[in-house]
Amino acid sequence: MGGLFGGGFMALTWVNAIIVVFLGFVGGVLSGFTGSGGAFFMTPGMMNLGVTGVVAVGSNVAHRLGNNLMGSLKHAKLGNVDKKLAIFLVVPALIAVRVAVWINGRLLHVSSGHEGGGEGAVSNLYISLVFVAVLTAVGIFILRDALRSRDAKEAEGPSMRVVNFVAGLHLPPYVTFPVADVRVSLWLVVLVGLVVGYLDGTVAIGGFVGVPAMIYLFGVPTSVAPGTELFLAMFGGGLAALSYAYQGLVDLRLTFLLLLGSIVGVYVGTYGTKVVKEVLIRLVMGSVILLCVLSRALALPVYLRQMGVVRFAPYLDAWFNVGSTVMLFAAGIGGTGLILILVVRAHIAQLRIHSTLQVSDPGLDS
Amino acid sequence: MPIIFVCSVPFGGGERLARILAEKLGYAFLSRDDVVGKANECGIPVGKLEVATVKKPAVRERLARLKERYLAVATATICEKAAEGNLVYYGRAGHFLLPGVSHVLRVRVIPEHTQRLDTVMQRTKLSRGKAETLLCDIDADIRSWVQFVHGVDMDDFHRYDLVINLEHLSIENAAMAVCGIADLPDFRPTPASRKAMEERLLQARARIKLALDERSADADLTVRSNDGVVTITYMPRQAALASVVPQVLHDLPGCQELRCTVASTNILWIQEEFRSGAATPGQLIELARRWGAAVELLRYRPDEVDEVDGAPPPEPATSGTKPGAAGGVEDDVPETVSDSDRAFQDALALLVHSGRSGGGQSVAGNRERLVSAINPNIPYSLVVVGDLFLKKGSAVRTRMTRELTNFLADHIKAPVIPIAELAARLRFGPAQIARLAASAVLMVALYALVFSHQETVLNVLAGPFHNAHPWGAVALVAVLAPLAAGLNAVVTSSVLRLMKLD
Repeated sequence: MGGLFGGGFMALTWVNAIIVVFLGFVGGVLSGFTGSGGAFFMTPGMMNLGVTGVVAVGSNVAHRLGNNLMGSLKHAKLGNVDKKLAIFLVVPALIAVRVAVWINGRLLHVSSGHEGGGEGAVSNLYISLVFVAVLTAVGIFILRDALRSRDAKEAEGPSMRVVNFVAGLHLPPYVTFPVADVRVSLWLVVLVGLVVGYLDGTVAIGGFVGVPAMIYLFGVPTSVAPGTELFLAMFGGGLAALSYAYQGLVDLRLTFLLLLGSIVGVYVGTYGTKVVKEVLIRLVMGSVILLCVLSRALALPVYLRQMGVVRFAPYLDAWFNVGSTVMLFAAGIGGTGLILILVVRAHIAQLRIHSTLQVSDPGLDS
Repeated sequence: MPIIFVCSVPFGGGERLARILAEKLGYAFLSRDDVVGKANECGIPVGKLEVATVKKPAVRERLARLKERYLAVATATICEKAAEGNLVYYGRAGHFLLPGVSHVLRVRVIPEHTQRLDTVMQRTKLSRGKAETLLCDIDADIRSWVQFVHGVDMDDFHRYDLVINLEHLSIENAAMAVCGIADLPDFRPTPASRKAMEERLLQARARIKLALDERSADADLTVRSNDGVVTITYMPRQAALASVVPQVLHDLPGCQELRCTVASTNILWIQEEFRSGAATPGQLIELARRWGAAVELLRYRPDEVDEVDGAPPPEPATSGTKPGAAGGVEDDVPETVSDSDRAFQDALALLVHSGRSGGGQSVAGNRERLVSAINPNIPYSLVVVGDLFLKKGSAVRTRMTRELTNFLADHIKAPVIPIAELAARLRFGPAQIARLAASAVLMVALYALVFSHQETVLNVLAGPFHNAHPWGAVALVAVLAPLAAGLNAVVTSSVLRLMKLD
């Protein structure tokens, strides 16, 4: 995996460029559809193309800079941002982001010291492990929630064990957040801020933890949590992007290509939320996430071999990479394709439906 | 005579005051316990709902449907009881169920703290400290519940007509004071307020019927009623409801017409008069089509005061000469529908015809009354403030409309725009084309610059130049990444707007 300037910057061909735009589009569709940032698809996608993990993370975080700002402003106009909560979260998050970026940067320069290895194996492994660990938990949680909702007559809600456990703890001092209308232990806020910042800085998936944490641990309304998370991401993601840039780990070309696809994708995905049932949205989201996790897991043996932890013939690297790539693209194309089919079908059905059915004197209608 | 709502926290003497009031006035008495019992009979586990929403805030959004059903049962129970005769209701915040109904006397009772504490200690056998904690928890839970159910702060005293502090006033004397105020003409029913109550009842009954039928029980619906017309709005993903809803509501008492509209969101249009021939309906329908929205009309008369029941009816409008017999079947009674009402009905009909009807209602009075008439449980993507204060001069009209727009923006969780901005949102004229062209050119130039000078760019980002001046990479990313994102967003949104896919 050679790259320009030894930093994991790949040589850009037309094919690579189109694939990155496609990654952005799929990430955007999934992002608009599921409310996540799409990094769970874009980052491993770029890694599968040969981009060093930390450069993929840095480029992805940079591409979200502008989107986070605009999204946050829109939410703020609707009164959906608790700025006080965001500020309390952003302070520990910024510290964690700096630590995460520093760790990633240091790991990048750790040599594998093994034949066939190269710089980047350790950081790739680290990023992939964090990715697999966090997203496995998230994917299983979402799928279980979706399957339960599908069977229940009335939505029962997620498991309350964590919520009840946290509610039972007495951890002063408490802070009141007026917009979100919640009172939360400061320690909990700091902990969540640290975790979100760490994940944002490591793999750019802080929102996956931040939004559910605000909803299920703090009790923040679902209308306020995403807006507040975007406000937080504006600063946390911004610091991460600039920190990666300072370390020379942002490929602006990839950022630009991702933007070309992701902004269009977000519109498509957002429209899909209006016409697709919520349970189906969660099923698609959970399935795609777990497939992305499997894809990343397939790449782990390669990094372990490069580090000398396991031994097998180097030619098998290509097979693992192909398998990982195929699985990732299957997840992305499958998920996006399904969403597009549902969107088009729903749109056609909507055009066919007699939009306003007027029934005079319903008593005469049998 | 008014419906008297006595709102208080438990153990505070509020219920006793309400019962004494009902006895003195000879009114029927209804309490929250009766409403909860009725809701339980309809299969709504109110206790569970309360615990879930208060103790487990994470599930509030998921229980929104259950909440709506509870509100419908509560509204129907109160309205049906009030229709039988006068009523005293004791509860937490029942008056919020009847927005727009003016013959309601809203009384908030502030208990005397020591007496309340003693009552709790006596009944629960708790120590003083634990009793204090219990009362704090109960009050906090009730506040949370009211906020969840009605979206308001129950301690906001602007929302009551009378606040009684029992610290120095006995319950009996407080009841006598309320009796005197209830007798005032300000709280007498008017035709408009009776009608508003009938609409609330019809709406609630429709909601209950839909909730009790398994075909529509899980549906995400918005129910409105106006003049006997029930409008049901449902999401595109629930297209099957088009045939189900008429079957479920076929025997709904008081329903003269049923309209079902598929819409993923709502636009509220507030105007004083809906004159025919204006360009605005067309623009709103165009916008509603693009957004998949239902348009709800709200006819607002800021200068009017409702006439009190018992006042002599207005003289029917008559022309100067008696029309001659034409030999055919003729009405003896001249048409009493005003031009304004006709224009309003025409506007509603136009929306029905274009498949964008979200129902309509009329409100008269001050701006607080206007806000209370807007259902906080309906998600509006846009609120359009049209022509208002028509009896005022142009400058005053502009100023008052702007003030009202700002007031609404502060009180409603939706973008509020004046009508003049609507055309700007829809228009794709020369200014928008210039903006699209400029952004596209800049975007192409930026991309061309970066991709035709890759080596230079990468040198700044990660090469020898970066090693010597790492802040150069920071500056480049800080400037170019948001710039590219912004240009992409402008071009994409403009193209989608041009294609009417926004």
